[in-house]
Amino acid sequence: MISLAILFLAPIIAGIPVAVAWGHRPESDLARKLPVISVIGLFISLVVSLYLFFSYPEPERVVIQWIPGLNINFSFIFDYLSTRMGVLTALIAFLIGVYGLEYMKHDYRMGWYWFFFNMFTSSMLLVVYSDNLLMLLIGWEGLGLASWGLIGHWFRDDDELSYVGIMDRFVGPLKMFWSPSTGGWRAISTIRFGDMPMFFAVAAIFALTGSLDISQIDWGGLFAKIGTAGTIVLLFTFLMGPFTKSAQLPFSEWLMTAMTGPTTVSALLHSATMVAAGTYLFMRLSIYIGPWAHHSAGLAIIYILVLFLGLISSLYGALVALSSLERKVILAASTMSSLGLMFATTASSYWLGEIAVMIAFWYLVVHAFAKATLFLVAGHLIHVTETRFCSGNLEFGKKIIAGFGATVLATISLAGIPPFTAYWVKSGMDELMHGLHEVFGLAPFALLVTTSLVYSGFLAKFLSLNFIKGEKPHEMHLHGGKVMSLAYAVMVSMLIYLLYVILSGGSHLMEELVSAGYDKTSITVGVLVLVAYVITLIDPREKAFSRIAGIFGDRLYLSALNDYIVPGIGKVLIAFVDLCNSVIDFFFHRLIPDVFGAISGGIRRIQKGYLTTYLKLVVGVFLAVVFIAVLMGW
Amino acid sequence: MSNAFGLSITLVSAFVALYSLPYMYHRFEEMGLDEIQEYRKYIFLYNIYAGSMLWLVYSGNFILLFIFLEISLLASFFLIYMYGYGNRRWVAILYFIWTHVAGALTFVGFLVMAFDNSTLAMDSVSTISFVAWILIFTGMIVKLPGLGPHVWLPWAHAEAPTTVSALLSPLTVGLAGYILIRVYLIDGWFINEFRNIIMAYAVITSIYAGLSVLRQTDYKKLLAYSTVSQMGYMLIGLCLGGFGVAGATIQYISHAFGKSILFMTAGGLIVAYHGLRDLGKMGGMHEYVPTISNAALLGFMNLSGIIAIGMFGEFFILRGIIDVYSFNVPVILAVVFVFILSGWYSFFTMKNIYFGKPAGYEKVKVSRLIDTPLYVIGAISILFIFPPLITALVDGLKLIIGGVLP
Repeated sequence: MISLAILFLAPIIAGIPVAVAWGHRPESDLARKLPVISVIGLFISLVVSLYLFFSYPEPERVVIQWIPGLNINFSFIFDYLSTRMGVLTALIAFLIGVYGLEYMKHDYRMGWYWFFFNMFTSSMLLVVYSDNLLMLLIGWEGLGLASWGLIGHWFRDDDELSYVGIMDRFVGPLKMFWSPSTGGWRAISTIRFGDMPMFFAVAAIFALTGSLDISQIDWGGLFAKIGTAGTIVLLFTFLMGPFTKSAQLPFSEWLMTAMTGPTTVSALLHSATMVAAGTYLFMRLSIYIGPWAHHSAGLAIIYILVLFLGLISSLYGALVALSSLERKVILAASTMSSLGLMFATTASSYWLGEIAVMIAFWYLVVHAFAKATLFLVAGHLIHVTETRFCSGNLEFGKKIIAGFGATVLATISLAGIPPFTAYWVKSGMDELMHGLHEVFGLAPFALLVTTSLVYSGFLAKFLSLNFIKGEKPHEMHLHGGKVMSLAYAVMVSMLIYLLYVILSGGSHLMEELVSAGYDKTSITVGVLVLVAYVITLIDPREKAFSRIAGIFGDRLYLSALNDYIVPGIGKVLIAFVDLCNSVIDFFFHRLIPDVFGAISGGIRRIQKGYLTTYLKLVVGVFLAVVFIAVLMGW
Repeated sequence: MSNAFGLSITLVSAFVALYSLPYMYHRFEEMGLDEIQEYRKYIFLYNIYAGSMLWLVYSGNFILLFIFLEISLLASFFLIYMYGYGNRRWVAILYFIWTHVAGALTFVGFLVMAFDNSTLAMDSVSTISFVAWILIFTGMIVKLPGLGPHVWLPWAHAEAPTTVSALLSPLTVGLAGYILIRVYLIDGWFINEFRNIIMAYAVITSIYAGLSVLRQTDYKKLLAYSTVSQMGYMLIGLCLGGFGVAGATIQYISHAFGKSILFMTAGGLIVAYHGLRDLGKMGGMHEYVPTISNAALLGFMNLSGIIAIGMFGEFFILRGIIDVYSFNVPVILAVVFVFILSGWYSFFTMKNIYFGKPAGYEKVKVSRLIDTPLYVIGAISILFIFPPLITALVDGLKLIIGGVLP
């Protein structure tokens, strides 16, 4: 229990000194040194997460009282997923923290940055280990808030380097460049849109089962109780949270503009926290729901939805990445693509059993290290070349040899080229999607293979345009960068370690993956992926596709949804409300006083003191009364 | 339940009192008044105002409750009349008339209740007739306020001196919700009977006001509209059974914390930049007054229920939906949209005022008394989601959840 407290509180508490010092006296020498403490906090939680990993080989729950009166408690779970995911999160956060020491050295807002960075990590750890849905939501909201703070970190909107898109470019009514403060707003507004339905689903689960602990709820009983329609409503509202957080279609835009944040943030956001939280939650839920065991119609519909949504988002993301020219946007879109694959793979567990969830999880792990490496390299490149767009030739590549090497290793490991790390995991996925042919024909498999080819293509493009065949960069600031290089070198070496873990067997899952890797289909796909990689490496700018690439580079104008359609509806509604407001104001502040004024003026005018006037009034009223009486009698 | 309300009143009014030291000096200076002399008057009225609200929630008799309601009304009327902004006299009278209408209706309602039961002690009143209910309900709708009678609120909140706004909006208007909850717990047939209508009205109020927020150009008026929207939550909660009422109570606490922080940030900007309230002239204010900006973040977190006590308010209200309406999709969508909207306007305002291109002001040093109270309230609101505070609070509310008079 103490270890748990340390795990979650160490990063937050360690983030406070720099925040306070910076708030008290910005840019002082002392405050510039304090981030070291924050990184130490991250290191402590890494140590604790490792300790938890080794001390809970078997699944176990730890419960601490919170609101016992309502059966809501802090309950933590230590199982296969959470112990591994915890180490992954803490390790990546720590390495990125070390990198950040150098990357953010001259920032104008260090207190804010480190506080939210550490809060980000803590929130993610809370999401990872929590079994209680309400407690998970605290972490979940923490992720949303921290990502908002970090994406909009450079709030002054004055640095072209922190924008996304080409400056001052418009397509029709759409603005095609986004400032950091806009990026932050888009992130939190999109997430909010998903979080509230999810919050409702959690409340509903609590109302219907009286429990909030994922592993304790009788899911089968719940689904039987609420019927097909109820199941669909419940699960769909619940999954709105993961969908928005993990940027599946059509909620993907915020992820692209999240690139307005510092690169370290993008690296953390895209590898082990935030976006991974959505898929991770879906995996965790799938394991405990066990959709393969009860075949309810509602469950089937939801899993089919997730499967195809994931695959289509994945293809979309890959195509966007292939067509983008900004370093970080390429990587952002590629993350979206990978997340889609994770969702789809997990969803296939409905037909294929628990193994699908495990494979998806291992894909998450491999992806996290590779993507973090690529982001860290991209950040280093942005520092050196002072541009967001891909640039760099072979001569340049030789100068940043560590970054070059790390990129080569990360891209070939992530693309799925045999025999590197992701190949084995991807083989497992090939086999799964192929296994679905009895249900859906070859569509899932075809989508997966297409995505894999495109995916490998843009990874090669990223490598080629930044280190081999890109333009010569205008500026080169080559001094420093040692800490940054060290951080991503360690990060990329984790991929080799993972390769070792997979090949050494040891568990049923690993043997399964290796045997899938020797399958003919997988080898064929692997070779195709290699071919796609080599072709794009040699020719990263194929002219024939430039037109279609332009459209995909603009992300199929999906930004219209965030920037035009929803605000447009909002504007109409607001105009309407404004109109009503002026009507109400007129009614109460003009009409009623005026009417009263008129009445009182009228009455006053009568009071003149002439007897004849009063007599006339009396006679008039009398006649009126008689007239009415006659009318009624008649 | 009285304790839940009383706690927020004492906390908020104590910290606002600290805050009012520097703020009111600024205001007196601006108005060219003798500071010491005026301060005596001000703090006297302020204390009566805060005290009467506290007495109100602890009174066990409806007549007593009404008297304190009127005292708080008078005290706040004088405060607005003497120290408000703009055409403060007109606004004060507007405020006075509207709340007086509310008070009169409620009073007659209480009288009817008294004739029916031959008593007004809360623990002996057992039945509430239709006439009494409709009078009290309409009165409280004016005070709460619901859509339609809400006209007075944006004016009153915007033009009152900020310290008074910081009590008026978080505490006073919510007390209408308190009275409704009290009456509901004694005999709630009226709400149960007309649930769908009231629910629809509450949702429309909330969404309407939430949309109005996005249009405002005056920081304080913006906050005032958001109060209307948040009071819609309370009305929604009232329609949703035991859990809903518990949610409404927590919502009151959360809104009290959040909105008092926000009004004080508005006041902070007024003090720092001599009456700066126009959103059009703001932008990137984080650059100049980071401490106020961070405090505003805490306030908006409370409003939108992100890792602050408001989270539980939303949670209980959402749970109430299932209890009362089960899987009624329109109701779910409506309430969820209300919550989404409050998050949207919170962070949209945050972006417009504090982030973006800096608007070109001088950096100023903010008095410690202006920002510290805000952080303390913010910290309390966050600590409230952890034991032992939330445990104690929910245990206290369990009686309400069971639907029994506490």
